[in-house]
Amino acid sequence: MAEHDDLASAVDDYLTRTYDGDRRRKLLDAGGWDTRLSAELADLGWYSLAVPEERGGIGASPADLGRVFMEYGRHLVVGPQLENSLLPALVEGLTPDPAGIPAALVDPGVTHDWVDDLGTLALTGRELDGTVDAVRFAVQAGVLVVLVGGTVCLVDPDAPGVRIEALDSADPGTAFGRVCFDGTVVRRVLADGGLVDRIRAWARLLLACELSGVARGALDRTVEYVAQREQFGRPIGTFQAVKHLAADMSARSTSLNNLCLAALADADGVSDADLDLISATAKAHAADAAVQVCEDAIQLHGGMGFTTEADVSWYYRRALALRGWYGDATELQHRIGTALLTTGSPR
Amino acid sequence: MTVESLEEFRARARSWLADVGPLEVPADPDARFDVLRRWQRTLFDAGWVGLAWSREAGGSGLTHAHQLVFVEELVRARAPQPVGLIGLEVVGPSIDRYGTDEQRRELLPRLLSGDDIWCQGFSEPDAGSDLASLRTRAVADGADLLVTGQKIWTSWAHKAQWCALLVRTDPSVRKQAGISYLLVDMASPGITARPIRQMTGDQEFCEVFLDEVRVPRRNLLGAENEGWAIATHTLGSERGAATLRRRVELEVALEDAVDALRSRGTLGHRARAAVGRAHVAMRVLDAQTRRTTERLLADAGPTPVDSVDKLVLNEVEQTVFAEIAALLGPLRAVPGSRPAGLGSGRWAHEHLYSRAASIYGGSSQIQRTIVAERLLGLPRG
Repeated sequence: MAEHDDLASAVDDYLTRTYDGDRRRKLLDAGGWDTRLSAELADLGWYSLAVPEERGGIGASPADLGRVFMEYGRHLVVGPQLENSLLPALVEGLTPDPAGIPAALVDPGVTHDWVDDLGTLALTGRELDGTVDAVRFAVQAGVLVVLVGGTVCLVDPDAPGVRIEALDSADPGTAFGRVCFDGTVVRRVLADGGLVDRIRAWARLLLACELSGVARGALDRTVEYVAQREQFGRPIGTFQAVKHLAADMSARSTSLNNLCLAALADADGVSDADLDLISATAKAHAADAAVQVCEDAIQLHGGMGFTTEADVSWYYRRALALRGWYGDATELQHRIGTALLTTGSPR
Repeated sequence: MTVESLEEFRARARSWLADVGPLEVPADPDARFDVLRRWQRTLFDAGWVGLAWSREAGGSGLTHAHQLVFVEELVRARAPQPVGLIGLEVVGPSIDRYGTDEQRRELLPRLLSGDDIWCQGFSEPDAGSDLASLRTRAVADGADLLVTGQKIWTSWAHKAQWCALLVRTDPSVRKQAGISYLLVDMASPGITARPIRQMTGDQEFCEVFLDEVRVPRRNLLGAENEGWAIATHTLGSERGAATLRRRVELEVALEDAVDALRSRGTLGHRARAAVGRAHVAMRVLDAQTRRTTERLLADAGPTPVDSVDKLVLNEVEQTVFAEIAALLGPLRAVPGSRPAGLGSGRWAHEHLYSRAASIYGGSSQIQRTIVAERLLGLPRG
C-alpha cells in the first residue's frame, strides 16, 4: 500500500510543480492535444508503468495506473492518457511511443445503449470494413487498435482503405475523429480470447478513477471558494445551506475515492468475469457521483461557476464527457444486474 | 499466551453455528424477546459474547478483529444478534472504561450474559439532535440523587433491568458542563416505561417517565457533572460497531434478495436495473467500511470521518431496501405474498425500517454540519 501512495504523491508533486493553471487552460483550449505534454509524460516513463518488462516497460499492474488517473482527474490533465497508458500495457506488439504519439482505440463497444449510433465494423479474414463515428485522438494516432467482435487488430492509419476525418469535440480534453475502413488489410490480428473484454474493463476502471479525481478537484476548488466568498457580510461557507451541500459533495467524493481504491485492490489477478463486474461497478458509481459533485460545485460558485473563468466549469464538462464513455450508470447497472441475476453465482 | 488466529477463529465460529442450527424466532414480541435473550445466554455460555472485552470484565480478551469476524459469521449463518446489543455495543464499553472496579465487577458480567438488559436514556422530547440541552434533573437528597424528567426513543426500556441515564445535575453552568451519567436500576420506584408503536409495527422503543427516582451516588459513572465526555464516548462506540455490523447485514440481505429473484426469474428489466443499483450501493459501503475497520483495529478513536461513514451508510441502506422493495409492486401491501420470489412482509419491513437510518444515532443534517465544519474546515457561523 505504501508504494502505491508513493506513486500517487510523486505524480501529484510533479503535476503541482509543472502543470499550473496557465498550462492547464492552454491544454483545455487546445482540445486536449499537446505534443509537448505527451512527450514529457512519455519521457518521465509514466506511459511505461504498466507495460510488461519484456516489452521494455516497468512491469507494474494496470491497477497501479489507477492512482495516476486519480491525479490526472484532480489536476485536470487531459489528452490521450488512457490510450498511451493502457494500450501498450495490454496489447502485445505495442510499445509506448517515445514521443508520446498515442495509439487510438477504435471500438464501437464504448457504449451498449448507443451502439447503433456509433457505427459497426466487420472483419473478413484480414480485411476490415465499416465505420466508427467517434474515436478519441484518431487523427493524432500512430497506430489504430481496432476491436471488432471478439478480436483485437492493429491497423496502420495510412494503410490503403483507411479514412480518418477530424470531428468537432465538446469534450475539452479530447480530440475526436471518424474512422472508416474499406477493405483495409490489418497489420496484425491478436488471438487472445479475453483481450477485448479486458481492454474495456480496464478502460472503464481507469475512467472511474479519473472521474474520482475530477470530483475531488471540483470539491477542493469549491471548499476554497465558499470559505472566502462573502455575502451578507460573512463567508458563504458559514451558511448551513452551503455547508450541507459541501458535506454531500465531500461524502460523494470520499466514497467514490474509496470505491475506486477498493476496486483497484480487488482487480489484480481476478477472472475476466470478476474484473468486468468490479470495473462496471466502479464506473457506474463514478458516472453519477462525479457529475453530481461537479453540478453542486457549479451551484456553490454561483454565476461564476457557469463561466469558463472558474475551473469547476471545466471539471464539469470533463465529467459529462467521461460519464458515457464505456458505460454510464444506467447502462452499467443493467449490465451488473444481468450478471448477478442470470450468470454464475452472485458474490 | 498466543491469540487464536482469525482463520482458526472463523472456522471454529462457523462450525459452532452450524452445529447449533437455525433458531426459531416467534412473531409475538414478548415471546421473541425471551427467545433472543436465551440466545444471548447460549452465545455467552459458549464464549462468543464480549470477545474483545478483557477477561477481568467477563470477556474473552481477544481483539476487535475477532469480534468483527464473529459478527460476520453470525449474520452469514442467518442467526439473530444477541438481544442486549445496547449493553454490548453502546453502554458496556463506557462502563468498562469509566466505571469503578465495583461497578465493572457487579454490572459487566450480567450485561454480557444477558441477565441484565440495558437501555440508554439519552434523548428527551425537547433534546434530540441538541442532546446537551436535556432537562431531566437530578437533585441531591442525602447520599442519593432524586431524578425527575422524561426520556424518549429509549430502546428496550420496557424490558430493561438497567438504564444509562443522562441527567442535569447543575443547571447554572454551560449546558455540557452540568450533565452527569447515572446507572439506574429500572426496578426503582417512580419509573414508568411506555412502549411506542413504530411504523414497522414493532415496539422497540419507549417513552420513560421518571418521578423522583432515588439513585444512590455510587451509581454515578465518572464524576458528577462530568457525564458529557462519557456520553460522547458512548455515542462513538455505538457508531463504529453499528456501522460495521450493519454492513454485513445489508450484504447478506442483498444476497438473499438476489437468490430469491434468481429462483423466480421474472421482472427481467426492472429487476436487473434494481439489483444493479443495489449492488453498486453495496460495494460503495463495503469500500467505505474497509477504512472504518482499519480505524477500529488501530483504536483510532472518534473522527469526523465517522460522520462521512454514517452519511454513506444511510444512503446505501435506504437505496438497497428501496430498490428491492420497489420490486414488490402492488403486492407490497400483502405481507404473505411472494412477488418475483421476494417475501413481501420481510422486504416491506426492511424498507420501512431503513427510513430510520438517517435519523437515529445523529441525523444526516447533524452529520453534514460536522463534515462541513470539522472535515472541510468551513467556518462556524
